[in-house]
Amino acid sequence: MSRAAVALSFVALISIAPLLYMARVSLGVGNALPIAPSDWWSGGFTLEHYRSLGASGGMGRFALNSLIVTGIAVPLQILLSAAAGHALARGRFAGKGIYLGLATAFLILPRQVTLVPLYLLFSKLGLLDTYAGLILPHLADPFGVLFMAHYYQTLSPELEEAARTDGWSPAAIFWRIVLPLSGPGLAVVGVNGFLITWNAFLHPLVLTTSESMRTLPVGLALFAQSEHSVDWGALLAGSTIATAPVMIAFALFQRQIVEGLLQGSGR
Amino acid sequence: MRGRGLWGLLPWSAFFAVFGLIPLLAALVLSFYSMNPLRPDLTHWVGGANYARALGSPAFWHALRTTAIFVVGTLPVTLVLAYLVAALLARLKRGEAFFRAAIFFPATLSMVVISLVFKSLYAEQGLLNGWLQSLALGPVHWLQDPRLALPSIMAMDVWASVGYYAILILAGRKTLPVEQLEAARLEGMRPLMIERRIVLPHVMPVLLFVVLLNTVRSFQIFIEVFVLTRGGPLESTLTLVYHLYERAFYHFEMGYACAIAYLLLLLVGAILLAQRRLIGRGPAEIRTEAAL
Repeated sequence: MSRAAVALSFVALISIAPLLYMARVSLGVGNALPIAPSDWWSGGFTLEHYRSLGASGGMGRFALNSLIVTGIAVPLQILLSAAAGHALARGRFAGKGIYLGLATAFLILPRQVTLVPLYLLFSKLGLLDTYAGLILPHLADPFGVLFMAHYYQTLSPELEEAARTDGWSPAAIFWRIVLPLSGPGLAVVGVNGFLITWNAFLHPLVLTTSESMRTLPVGLALFAQSEHSVDWGALLAGSTIATAPVMIAFALFQRQIVEGLLQGSGR
Repeated sequence: MRGRGLWGLLPWSAFFAVFGLIPLLAALVLSFYSMNPLRPDLTHWVGGANYARALGSPAFWHALRTTAIFVVGTLPVTLVLAYLVAALLARLKRGEAFFRAAIFFPATLSMVVISLVFKSLYAEQGLLNGWLQSLALGPVHWLQDPRLALPSIMAMDVWASVGYYAILILAGRKTLPVEQLEAARLEGMRPLMIERRIVLPHVMPVLLFVVLLNTVRSFQIFIEVFVLTRGGPLESTLTLVYHLYERAFYHFEMGYACAIAYLLLLLVGAILLAQRRLIGRGPAEIRTEAAL
């Protein structure tokens, strides 16, 4: 092994070890943390913490809420991004530069600024503590639109123009020509949208008031501040549950995740 | 195709306006009001009083200072480590994909999960104190000691960010033509010299972008503080966004919270503009360049 590989093995170990530790504690007997390295192997393995999380109902409900929110928000994000990105890439209209500038600025600027107005707006509209309230803010994210606008610029418009000459409607062109060619770009938008929605914390924290509407990150964070604060087995079992879908997404779409992050999809 | 096909822009624009731009402007308007959602009838215009209050408030300056310490303390460490990791990855002959995945993975995790895992590592009975104990030291109260709480959170943040920035820097390195490196090697330049004279200048825009991105993100830290310390002990980890959150949702001072939010926005905006001045390009262009 080269020296670089030896050094990197060390780095990789540091970056993965906390997660192995998380999984190990979640499978441990009782709630004591295994402090000595020897405890990692002895001390037994059990699914007790996962069972108790399932039985008490809370965590299952949080996971279900997270699934519902991401399951609805991400497909919508994909469709909105494709439609708006395509229009931005192909259309020429007054104010396009300003439009792109606004979207880019919104991507970079601290999103916490919208927190209070969204809270007040949603409380007025009766959207606090609803799935709609948890989903809608994600649909305003400009990342997918900007990414797809860039993607379509690299896609030749010839096919679309031929179809237009043949008298196809814009809608038919979009659904039957543009969308089928958008797979690689939409995969990046989809998987990054999934990560952001699945991991979202501050807005879901503020926009939910009852325990039954909490998403997994919010439920976990507040569970950790309840009387369960030293219930390490349960806390890290919940963390493992929240991590599993991310791990699967990472295994399947690592390239798309890297590309999305490089293009400015924030956490 | 002037004006044609713009229907596609409408649905997203509606969401962007209602849940993005309008709240952004509403926050500015609100920052000039005194507003408590429990007593909406008492809402009234206060002019610049919220800003004056923030700028005269020890709590605000304390939060700003805490945030600044966080940024100044983490940025150089993260940057140097990320650069080293990227350099090592570039040197690999085999197995790059494996190491890249292992090192990058933490960047995709929920910050809540990361914080909970580190909370267990930092706990009195946690792994770190277990090791110290086996050396007959400790226990150290990582998160309960006002002198250690912020550095402990900063260490966690470095752990969580290095992989992400390493991959960014690696992408920048890869845009360097192989022939140029070959030529330098044939001329007899030593690896360190190549690194300093050729690679470093080439990835400089990416490094500046990393500095900028990390600064902007660090100014927004919230989850770590919420999960690990709730701003304590003795407010030693009270950051700007946590301060904003407390003002808005514990004390219901919505107008004041919006003023803090806009001060944060101005600060981040100023950093972005300074960076634009410094390297003359927006982050978007650099990002495109840095793409794999």
